[in-house]
Amino acid sequence: MSIGKMKHERAWQAHLLAAAACGLTAFVASPLRDRLDLANTAMLFLLTVALVAVRLGRGPAILAAFCSVALFDFFFVPPHLSFAVSDVQYLVTFAVMLAVALIISHLTTGLANQAREAKARERQTHSLYELAKALAGAVTQAQVLAASENFLSENLHAETMLLLPSAMETLRVAGAMPKSISLAAEYTARLVYGSGEAAEGEDSAGGEGHSLFLPLRGSTRMRGVLVVSVGCGDLEKLRHQRPLLLAVASLMAIAIERLHFVEVAQASQLQVASERLRSSILSALSHDVRTPLTVMYGLADSLALTKPALPASAQETVIAIREQALRLNNMVGNLLDMARLQAGQVSLRKEWQPLEEVIGASIKLLGPGLQGHPVKVSLPADLPMLEFDAVLMERVFCNLLENAAKYSPGSTDIDLHAQARDATIEITICNAGAGFPPAMLPRVFDLFERGCVESAVPGFGVGLAICHAIVEAHGGAIHAFNPKSGGSCVCFTLPRGIPPQIEGESDPGETQ
Amino acid sequence: MTLPGPLVLVVEDEVQIRRFVRTALEGEGCRVAEVETMAQGLIEAGTRKPDLVILDLGLPDGDGVRFVQDLRAWSSLPVLILSARSTESDKIGVLDAGADDYLTKPFAVGELLARVRALLRRSKLGGEAESPLLRFGDVEVDLTRRQILRQGLPVHLTPIEYRLLSVMLANAGKVMTHRHLLREVWGPSYVESNHYLRIYVGHLRQKLEQDPTQPQHFLTETGVGYRFQN
Repeated sequence: MSIGKMKHERAWQAHLLAAAACGLTAFVASPLRDRLDLANTAMLFLLTVALVAVRLGRGPAILAAFCSVALFDFFFVPPHLSFAVSDVQYLVTFAVMLAVALIISHLTTGLANQAREAKARERQTHSLYELAKALAGAVTQAQVLAASENFLSENLHAETMLLLPSAMETLRVAGAMPKSISLAAEYTARLVYGSGEAAEGEDSAGGEGHSLFLPLRGSTRMRGVLVVSVGCGDLEKLRHQRPLLLAVASLMAIAIERLHFVEVAQASQLQVASERLRSSILSALSHDVRTPLTVMYGLADSLALTKPALPASAQETVIAIREQALRLNNMVGNLLDMARLQAGQVSLRKEWQPLEEVIGASIKLLGPGLQGHPVKVSLPADLPMLEFDAVLMERVFCNLLENAAKYSPGSTDIDLHAQARDATIEITICNAGAGFPPAMLPRVFDLFERGCVESAVPGFGVGLAICHAIVEAHGGAIHAFNPKSGGSCVCFTLPRGIPPQIEGESDPGETQ
Repeated sequence: MTLPGPLVLVVEDEVQIRRFVRTALEGEGCRVAEVETMAQGLIEAGTRKPDLVILDLGLPDGDGVRFVQDLRAWSSLPVLILSARSTESDKIGVLDAGADDYLTKPFAVGELLARVRALLRRSKLGGEAESPLLRFGDVEVDLTRRQILRQGLPVHLTPIEYRLLSVMLANAGKVMTHRHLLREVWGPSYVESNHYLRIYVGHLRQKLEQDPTQPQHFLTETGVGYRFQN
């Protein structure tokens, strides 16, 4: 049985009941006709009309009013059993009865409607509350979708579809088994996602009905689009429920945003944990490799220093062992630094400092590693301070100078000079060697690249690669070239920035 | 009859490192005591009263800062640190806690002995300046008259430069962290202003070094501080 037919039948029943109530009143009142005053009988009818109006609504109340007037007139107003009216003043009684019936029925039906609405609102608020509770407990997007689907199908008999942006900012229908979406609807959804304004459109699945597209607006950005679809006759209802739907949309946006931030927090926690693991592995490795190297180097060194001195050939061997241990140590240092830099976990300890200091320290640290090649340093007197990590920059200079020395013939000079440009300082280190093979020039800073495939000169491609990584971490650039005058050069830049002011010193000259 | 040599306590867990350190030190006429852990090291330092402690920072039971702090609570005996290169912040912590010098692994035996000699000489003097007249390179410093001569000619220093020079001279042979020097020369409110220090060390090098870009006396300990070497 359809809902309309049921309503129809119920209305008929109400009207019958109203008529029956009037008949009953007439039946009860008729034996008392001679004892009761006519005005009091009218009161009884009025009471009936009022009761009908309260219980059965406006239509039956009006019917009851007319019935009451008719019955009152027919049975009670003289002449009895006739609709004729002897006294004109009874017409006033009729009019009053009718008016009272209308007023009371109007009031009561109004009240009933308000009560019904209040109840509906309460139901809605309650289910919104239930939805909010479900969304607050949701830990996956599927749960968010399921909760809102339940809510909308229960309250509005509507179909729900959720569109979420992918990493590429394209909208995708969410869910384990996504529903299909029509092209027009997808277009509307994209517009809504872009503008942040709700919009109406055709049925999202391409059917007969209507859809409402609601943006899911998070606190930081748009989180997706909610599409609510209803059958073709229910568009008005959908419009009517728009405030409710907006509330649902904002609840969903909050839930989706919360899930997003949970994900972000978990990812960063994981990253922190893996970085900690990596750095503890690196430092353990560094300790474990350096300890035997220290032993090897120290033992060889003490052997070289024994008195009386070793025979010449043995002495040579011992010195070679010591030298190789030192070289191995440098390689390990380079490799470990490279691993740290590549893992992106080196925090630069940048400080403002003059360039000459780190150059001097590097030359001192290299010592015999320069193989007797003197380093000619020429820096402009007005070279400003630069901001860099001294330890890492020392490694850059050590690697470049050592490299320059390694590929220099005889005891030729190594030239180191710096020049101030507009926004950078340019540092160039040149030797008098054979130069980089031209084909190799663009690739000398790649990991494990070396001039010749199996060169007689010992080396390790990681040295230049780490210079590249360190200079880039400082916001500079590095390149290699062969000058026309011969030899090879490596040139790198560091940004100038704005050096801090140094307060001048009042100088009374007391130490003269 | 010869006097017994100075006693050096070596706190190091790697037996082979202890072996060549002992050989080298005994070659210099030192007596050597060895321990493997910092806890034992503190006990030995208390009972045997060594003249010098050589401490490895990479000990498994170790927090070097705690060790030095505990030691400094009752003694000013010199402490030489052995450490790996990549741990500047650890070194600074230990030096600020009161250690005197450090060596980076791997280290040459000759370098170790030079540092040991310098530290023993310093502690024998009890912190007093050898004489008011100091000489390094071609420079002569007269601390009583606040006069500096280079190749016989007077050199003009500003008050801060002079203060910096005298602090460095008083701590010759010792590593001074940036923080330490800034506190001594500029005062406690400047301990984060490393660039001041770098500028003024640069001035001293310009005025007193033969080649300021390759200094022989005002040495940089990169990432840690400075050392004055005679």
